[in-house]
Amino acid sequence: MSNIQMLIVDDEERFLLTTQKILSRKGFDVMIAHSGQGAIDMLKENAVQVVVLDVKMPGMDGLATLREIKRLYPFMEVIMLTGHATVPSAVEGMQSGASDYLMKPIDMDLLVEKVEEAVARRRAAEKKSIWPQPD
Amino acid sequence: MKGNRYISIRRLVFICMVVVPALPFAITLMIGHYYFSTSLENGAISAIERIVSDHGRIIDTFLAERKSDLDFIILSTSLEELKQPEHLQRVFNLLKQESSAFIDLGVFDASGLHLAYQGPYALTGINYQEADWFQEVMAKGTYVSDVFLGVRQVPHFVIAVMREESGSKWVLRATIDTELFSELVESVRIGETGDVYLLNSEGSYQTVSHGAVDLMQKDPGGAAFPDTGGGVSTFIKTDPSGRTYLYAVTSLSEKNWQLVTRLDKAVAFSSFQAAAHRIIFTAVVGGLFIILAALGLTRYILGRIMQLDNEKDTLGQQLIRASRLAELGEMSAGFAHEVNNPLQIMKSELGLIQILWNDIPKDNLPAPPQDISQIEECLDQLQLQVDRCGKITKGILQFARYSSPNPQDIDLCNFIPQVKAMVAKRANVHGIALAQKISGPTLPVHSDPGQLQQVLLNLLNNAMDATLERHGIEGGCVEIEAGASSNGVITLSVRDNGIGITEDDKKKIFSPFFTTKPVGKGTGLGLSVCYGIMEGMGGRMDFSSRHGVGSVFSIHLPAGGQKGPPDAAPEKKH
Repeated sequence: MSNIQMLIVDDEERFLLTTQKILSRKGFDVMIAHSGQGAIDMLKENAVQVVVLDVKMPGMDGLATLREIKRLYPFMEVIMLTGHATVPSAVEGMQSGASDYLMKPIDMDLLVEKVEEAVARRRAAEKKSIWPQPD
Repeated sequence: MKGNRYISIRRLVFICMVVVPALPFAITLMIGHYYFSTSLENGAISAIERIVSDHGRIIDTFLAERKSDLDFIILSTSLEELKQPEHLQRVFNLLKQESSAFIDLGVFDASGLHLAYQGPYALTGINYQEADWFQEVMAKGTYVSDVFLGVRQVPHFVIAVMREESGSKWVLRATIDTELFSELVESVRIGETGDVYLLNSEGSYQTVSHGAVDLMQKDPGGAAFPDTGGGVSTFIKTDPSGRTYLYAVTSLSEKNWQLVTRLDKAVAFSSFQAAAHRIIFTAVVGGLFIILAALGLTRYILGRIMQLDNEKDTLGQQLIRASRLAELGEMSAGFAHEVNNPLQIMKSELGLIQILWNDIPKDNLPAPPQDISQIEECLDQLQLQVDRCGKITKGILQFARYSSPNPQDIDLCNFIPQVKAMVAKRANVHGIALAQKISGPTLPVHSDPGQLQQVLLNLLNNAMDATLERHGIEGGCVEIEAGASSNGVITLSVRDNGIGITEDDKKKIFSPFFTTKPVGKGTGLGLSVCYGIMEGMGGRMDFSSRHGVGSVFSIHLPAGGQKGPPDAAPEKKH
């Protein structure tokens, strides 16, 4: 089975790079985007199974990005990363289709765990949906 | 400033309280006094008027009777008969039977010669041609004289009648005893100080009155009183000695004398004076009562105002504290968020270092093994401290109410023992007696169980810390109390006999990062987080404490069971 392709979206450059390195070492194919728009562009060009999305970003914020992603890719698994005041927005995100959320500062092991769970869910969902849907 | 305000309020209230009832009270008293005194005065005056007019008639009657006595004698007896001393004596004796006021009786011829005399003096043979009374009687036929001394040099007055018999005139004269006459006049006397006397047309006394006036002396009041024309005139006059009298005067019809009654004004109006005393007494007592009542009421009202002001101040302080806490919450939340991002990076970096480090074979490193273990220890410590920072920011965010409660009905009767069990071991180890007092078989509250547990644990831990600080490991006592307080509010209190809170600390107790514990032992977030949680759940938290005695922390929660308060847990929906 090929590596899991995932995309991390955050406005903190260093967080992206370090997390990318860690997750790559754990066997993920990690792409990074610095903004919501960047993430959408990235998704258009690459196959991605899981998106890790920061809620608070300049420009297009996490929730808007989430809705856009869900509109374009309804099966996309999205894990929200929240700071503080964004817990209610994380809840809102869950209602808008995010599959999970994590509170910063996150533990890398926990992130890996959540991503793997998400991938498993996605595979199960895809299996189900392939058969009944002819198109 | 405030003291001055209270003083002016006190003055205003007091003046109003005194003036408002005192004014109608005084007006009522004055009106009553006016009408009462007027009617009393009229009563006293009309009484004295009636007495004087009645008595005037009696004196008139007396004089008229005496005149007719003489008239009868002079008409029924001839001069010749009366000239006989025996006959005169017999007539005189008859006259004395008629009235004991007669002193003597005499007969005069037309030339004024005293022909015969019956009485105590020797007056026979004296010629009265020049005497006033003789000239008057010769002119008028009947005459009543003023009091005069006469030949006998004793004050007396006479009644004389003249008869014309076969061309020649003769006169019959009788002397009236002034003492008896005075007694007759005086019998009208009113009260101890009343005087009654007769005045002639020149204002001389014609009778004595208990020695108050001297016979034949001029009235010190001056001339005679104006003619009353048969009626009675009353007036108030001050005599030269400075005494004020109520006078009643009437003119006699038988003689141009005036019957004068005078009564000391104080005596005449004594009942009025008594009434006045009573009115003054009532005014003083009533006034005192009004003042006392006003004092009492003013004190009560002022007390209430001060109490309300104090309550307002306390409320204001609570409001300020609450808003300050809210500001602090927002500020620290922003701060926590900003710190969270670098923390996240640190954590990731540490994670990466850890992974890289784990991948490095440790066997043949160009470093001594103790350095390697030192590096590992440093890494662990970094991890630990970053986690600690994370915990602090999480605490702040909870205080700032950025986690939404999920309230449900909890029965405190089950809930409290569960939480108590969590701290029971710690209490046991430190020798702290842990008690609970729950009133009622069930005590449902509407609250988030996780958050409520956090609050209660926090309060219990604080209480135990406080008792440890005061008593060490013996004698600590912590009690959980729960019961319904009022309209849909359930109060849960944690009471301890610990060190208590100083006055200074009381103001800061709910502020984030305020702690009395040593550095590293407490974050200073516990109570502020609890406070934030309670606010978020629609509850309230307060405390009372005395330094060195103990503290009570109470949380007030909306009661469950029925419908919870509508705004306790608003659903976040857009």
